[in-house]
Amino acid sequence: MLAKASRSSGKGYAIALTAIIALLALGPFYLSDAWLGVLGKAYIAALFALSFNLLSGQAGMLSFGHSAYLGVGAFAAIHVMKAVQAGLFWLPTPFIPLSGALAGVLAGGIAGIFACQRSSGVYFAMVTLAISELIHTIAPNIQELFGGETGISSYRAAFLAFNFGRESHVYTLILIWTVICAIVMWLFARTLFGRLAMALRENEGRLPALGFNVYWTKVVPFAISGMFAGIAGALLSIATESANYSLFSVDASTAVVLHTFIGGSSLFLGPAIGAIIMTVFGYAASDATRSWLLYQGLIFIALMLSAPRGIALLALDTIDDIADRGARALLRALLIVVAVLLIAMGIVMAFEIVTQILTTEYQLAHTQTGRWNSISVYRVKWDPLSPFTWLVAIGSVVVGVLALRRYGQRTGPAP
Amino acid sequence: MDWFVISLINGAVYGLLLFLVAAGLTLVFGMMGILNFAHASFYMVGAYAAYALSSVIGFWGGLLIGPLIVALIGLIVERYLLRPVHKYGHASELLVTFGLAFVFQELIKAVFGQFLINYAIPDSLRFSAFTVFGTPYPFYRVFVALLAIVLFVALIALLRFTRMGIVVRAAVQRPEMVGALGHNVSAVFMLTFGIGAWMAGVAGAVGGALLTTSPNMALEMAILAFVVVIVGGLGSLTGAFFSCLIIGLLTTFAVSINVSLADIGRFIGLGDTLAALGTVATLKLSTYAGAMPVLVMLLVLLIRPSGLLGERK
Amino acid sequence: MSAVLEARNLVKNFGESCIIRGLSLSVHEGEKHAVIGPNGAGKSTLFNLLTGYLHPTSGEVFLREKKISGLPPHLVNRAGISRSFQITAIFPAMSVFENVRIAVMAKHGSRFGLFRLATRARKINEDAWHLVERVRLTKVAQKPAGDLTYSEQRALEIGMALGPGGDVLLLDEPTAGMSRDEAAYTVELIREVTSGKTLIVIEHDMSVVFSLADRISVLVYGEIVATDAPQAIRANQRVQEAYLGEDHGAA
Repeated sequence: MLAKASRSSGKGYAIALTAIIALLALGPFYLSDAWLGVLGKAYIAALFALSFNLLSGQAGMLSFGHSAYLGVGAFAAIHVMKAVQAGLFWLPTPFIPLSGALAGVLAGGIAGIFACQRSSGVYFAMVTLAISELIHTIAPNIQELFGGETGISSYRAAFLAFNFGRESHVYTLILIWTVICAIVMWLFARTLFGRLAMALRENEGRLPALGFNVYWTKVVPFAISGMFAGIAGALLSIATESANYSLFSVDASTAVVLHTFIGGSSLFLGPAIGAIIMTVFGYAASDATRSWLLYQGLIFIALMLSAPRGIALLALDTIDDIADRGARALLRALLIVVAVLLIAMGIVMAFEIVTQILTTEYQLAHTQTGRWNSISVYRVKWDPLSPFTWLVAIGSVVVGVLALRRYGQRTGPAP
Repeated sequence: MDWFVISLINGAVYGLLLFLVAAGLTLVFGMMGILNFAHASFYMVGAYAAYALSSVIGFWGGLLIGPLIVALIGLIVERYLLRPVHKYGHASELLVTFGLAFVFQELIKAVFGQFLINYAIPDSLRFSAFTVFGTPYPFYRVFVALLAIVLFVALIALLRFTRMGIVVRAAVQRPEMVGALGHNVSAVFMLTFGIGAWMAGVAGAVGGALLTTSPNMALEMAILAFVVVIVGGLGSLTGAFFSCLIIGLLTTFAVSINVSLADIGRFIGLGDTLAALGTVATLKLSTYAGAMPVLVMLLVLLIRPSGLLGERK
Repeated sequence: MSAVLEARNLVKNFGESCIIRGLSLSVHEGEKHAVIGPNGAGKSTLFNLLTGYLHPTSGEVFLREKKISGLPPHLVNRAGISRSFQITAIFPAMSVFENVRIAVMAKHGSRFGLFRLATRARKINEDAWHLVERVRLTKVAQKPAGDLTYSEQRALEIGMALGPGGDVLLLDEPTAGMSRDEAAYTVELIREVTSGKTLIVIEHDMSVVFSLADRISVLVYGEIVATDAPQAIRANQRVQEAYLGEDHGAA
């Protein structure tokens, strides 16, 4: 729920949001193609996360295999693109995501029929994961549909003035679709059905006594969520001009869960924010380290333990706090941020050094020359044998933890 | 004929190995209401720990110490990761264990690399136990099965005949009451969790050498474990046992059946029509073998949603 | 008077324990019927059986001669029986108004109508407001239901039971945990909102029972040991032994 102060400044947030979107929309004028590509992927991840949260944040259902619907949408789109390419079919590129929507809603509906059979959320989580792994296992064997191990590729057809060969065209297409879908999902939460889905999360057992067949109350949101995931998948196919069965892997399913809860499930845009931050970070970090996924997982767990409502709400609460209490609250917030950064940097440093040592190249060099070579972290070379190195790493963790204990008492209300 | 009998035994062995993992999962859920998504990760860590240790202290050393390390990890997880989020509700527990499974997988990849490693059956155990219609049957598989049975019996004995077992069984039904009676419920939970983790670790230590050891093994095992509890009914050890055997047998038989839908179709004259459907129909059943457990699960969900033996209320 | 709700020889076993053993009950149209009994007698189980939340091991339940035992709870509700819960079952994060709106939604029917924006659903919203007024929660209508006081929540619980519009109402310990004044207030509320309807109420508070009920059934160990007018129950020896004797003078 939005913090009390922000309710009155709801208009303020709406204006800020519009400004940000406008700024992003103008991206092609000031961002490089590389950046446009990364942001495009980030928006797709955001849309995917919003579709996931339709189930988890609103209806309380954790779909641990959501990549199935992303993948289905992606393949539907790529097949349509190939059909257009071959002249069998005509659908302008901007409308291709509709094919993803159709595929996604069907897949979501069918999966929902199985997954919603038992009322317990635990079963739902297990079944959704199993279904997605099923598709992942079978897909590479079905050449016609999924292109085997290499996947299927096509290319974007031009439409009117847009030749879609340019990164900026693709970027704008993705942004438009993402914003439209986000608005539709936001409106859905405000329909009667959306309220019903929320009641489902609040107290499922009450609903049958009020005349509702809870089973369908779950399957419908599942299908709708699948629809938006399918659109995200289609956008991905458009962006990469390819689709591969690895889309069905558990990694994509895990990523969306992490993004959603790192950003925060109870705020509508929380998952989108989490997805964008993590995707952009991921691109930046994957050059520097091969363990980015691990760090993402650790961030997720750390947040679930300390700030389960997610970063977005944490930030909002902090802003409210600063608005209420002024400079002292700001100082405290900054100290906490610094403390967390220290802990993170210390852990990352130690971990990077250890993993580097364990790589075969390092081991090889070690056996050959007998030396423990220095390892580069944060663009500085560290000698793994020197106590100074470990003092820095462990020290920053210790300092960070101590600082957190001192200043971090109130990390926000319990969810 | 020998194929049939061997597949039967193999299927039973596989099912028993599966049960070592599923039992811990079922027990923890029955008692604490938590579905530990990272339970199969204990299986994986057990395999890797045993592998790492075996190069230093031999296979038996790895088998002994590896699962103990896993049990320790399990205790730490329960105490410092699960207990704090218990107050946030079931969803948070699911999420934390889900994230944990991911972290374990990435950790293993970081330390051991992302490809499978050669955790092999020790030479001392590479002999044949008996012959089936002239084909030698490997002792190691028998060893795995015997180990699983011994542990299963020990578990039942522990639950039924020891004081601790009685407390555990009571805690499954009425944790608050057990606490009110003065027992340390937290300790009981932690111990149960640790035992479940230990069993999964043992399964990994023996199973990793038998099957493949790779960072992906946790996910594969997790899916199987989930299928088992859905088919057998969550919370029921007996249900889990039988569905483990069923899954084990089905998968093993499927792997060795080199028949496709089109082949069957040929029998009744529809061969060409079916073959025209494309790869789906011409794929051999053995390729689908990996998907069999989930297909069974889907079938059960449609026909008998409450599982074979029903659910714990 | 015809029997609107009838249970015949209901039996309910949970594994080895028999909770309801051969229970028969007949409630007339428009009657206010109370069910009392010691703790653990099976009163909530009875409600669950009557409303489809549990299926009987044997025996049947009839609503106006039509068999409803074995139906899922949402169909039982649509047939005309509504219930409240002993442990308040509301939607805490949603406002009082929204809670009531969910309760009135189902009877307004259409599947696709549910995709309307909530603010635009005029009839449903009007219906919901009327109900909020009837249970006298207008002042707190916009508050999150989880923030209400205990008796306000119980009033909401009753309101939600009224939402689906059935004319057989089952209330499970509506005044549990209330002070004398709160209980009296709630009783008055119940009388008002159930006029013209059939009411079955589980209660422990004898003053509530005697001020509401036309007839009382006494449930002991899964069986009904007596069904009669309040004065007769008060005088009944068996009942006194089993139940009233302990409870005499309780708040």
